[in-house]
Amino acid sequence: MGEEAFVNDSQKSDTGNVERLVEASRSGDRRAFDELVRLYQQQAMYAASRILGNVSEAAEATQQGFLKAYLKIDKLKEPKRFGTWLLRIVCNAAISQRRAMKDKGSIAITDCYEDKKNSSPIEREISEELKQVIQKAMLKLSKKETKAISLFGLEDLSQSEAAEIMGCSVEAVRWHVFQARKKLKVLLKEYLK
Amino acid sequence: MACFSGKEEIESITERVSEMKNDKENVDRLLEHNVADQLEYFDWNGLNAAISGRIDKAQPRKTYAKKYPIAFKIAAGLTVAAAVILITMMSITERPANVGIANIKGAVVSFIDKKGLTSIEIKQGGINSQTTVDVGNNRHSLAKCTVEIINLNGSQKGDCSAWIIISRPEPMLADNRTSSYENDLIYLF
Repeated sequence: MGEEAFVNDSQKSDTGNVERLVEASRSGDRRAFDELVRLYQQQAMYAASRILGNVSEAAEATQQGFLKAYLKIDKLKEPKRFGTWLLRIVCNAAISQRRAMKDKGSIAITDCYEDKKNSSPIEREISEELKQVIQKAMLKLSKKETKAISLFGLEDLSQSEAAEIMGCSVEAVRWHVFQARKKLKVLLKEYLK
Repeated sequence: MACFSGKEEIESITERVSEMKNDKENVDRLLEHNVADQLEYFDWNGLNAAISGRIDKAQPRKTYAKKYPIAFKIAAGLTVAAAVILITMMSITERPANVGIANIKGAVVSFIDKKGLTSIEIKQGGINSQTTVDVGNNRHSLAKCTVEIINLNGSQKGDCSAWIIISRPEPMLADNRTSSYENDLIYLF
C-alpha cells in the first residue's frame, strides 16, 4: 500500500486539525476536504469492507459516503466529531449496498487490486473462496449485527465511538457483536478449524 | 451439566458480553484477515481520485452568498436601496408641460392653453385628498395625463367648459357600447 494511505494517527487525533479542516471545507475550501478524505479513507474502507466482505463493493460505498459527507458537511453539528459522523454515513451506505446485493441474489467476484505476485494459484483460489463464503455469511447477519462486528474490529475505533456511530449504548454494541459471532461461528466453522 | 433457568441464562450471557471488551475471537481474526488480504494491494490513490471525481461531478452550487456572506448582504442592500431611490426619482421627476386645473371631482379643465397636446394635472385639494384622472377604463394614479385640446371657447381662463379628446391609440370598447372617447369625456365632466 502506498505510504500516503497510512495517515499518522496523531493527525486524526488532533481534533483541532480536524475542526479546522471541516470549517475550511464548509467555506468552500476543496483542498481541506481532500485532506479529510486522505485522513479518513482508510478507516472508511476498512469499515465498509468488513460490512460487505468485498473490497470492490466497499470502494463504491466509501465513495458514496464521502460524497454524501461533502454535500452535507454543513449539517455536522460538532466538527471535531467528523470521523464518527463520516463512518456512520459510510456504514449506512454499505448497508444499503448490502441490501442491493441481497436482492440481486448473487455476489460479484471482482478484482480491484493487483494480483498478488508472490502467491500461488492455489492460495489465490482459497482466498477467493474465503471471500465469497464470508460475504455470504455476512449477508445472513442483521444490519445491527453486521455494523457491530465490523466496527468492533476496527483498530482505531473505541467501543464508545462504535456505539455513537450505531446510535446505541456500548452494551448494545457488545450484545450485537456477541450475536454476530455466534452466527458466524456456525456459518464459517469450516474455516475456523 | 449445568442447567440454567431463563433468567440465569440471560445473566450469564450478559456477564460474558460485558467481559468481551477488546478480546478478539477466531471469527474476528478471520474477518480481519479477509479484509487485510483484499486491501493489501489496494489502489488508495485510485480511491482518492474516484472520490474527488465524484465530488467534482456533484459539486453543489456554492453560491457567492455562502462564500462571502457579509459582502453579499452589503451588495444586496445597496442594490435594493439604489432601486428604491431610482423608482422614487422616476416618480417625481415628471413635470407637466402646462399647469392649471382646478381641483374638482371629475377632472375639469379650468385653464386651457392652446390647441394641441398638453398635459393636465389635477392638483390635490389638500394633504389627505387623493385625486385621480380616469381616462376611459384606466385610472392614472398620479392625476395627470396627456390630452388634446381641440377647441377653444371664448374666454378660456376660468371657463370650465372645454372639449377634450383623450389621446388614445384606439378605442377600448366594442362598437355596441359606448365608445371610449365618450367615456373619457364622461369621466372628465
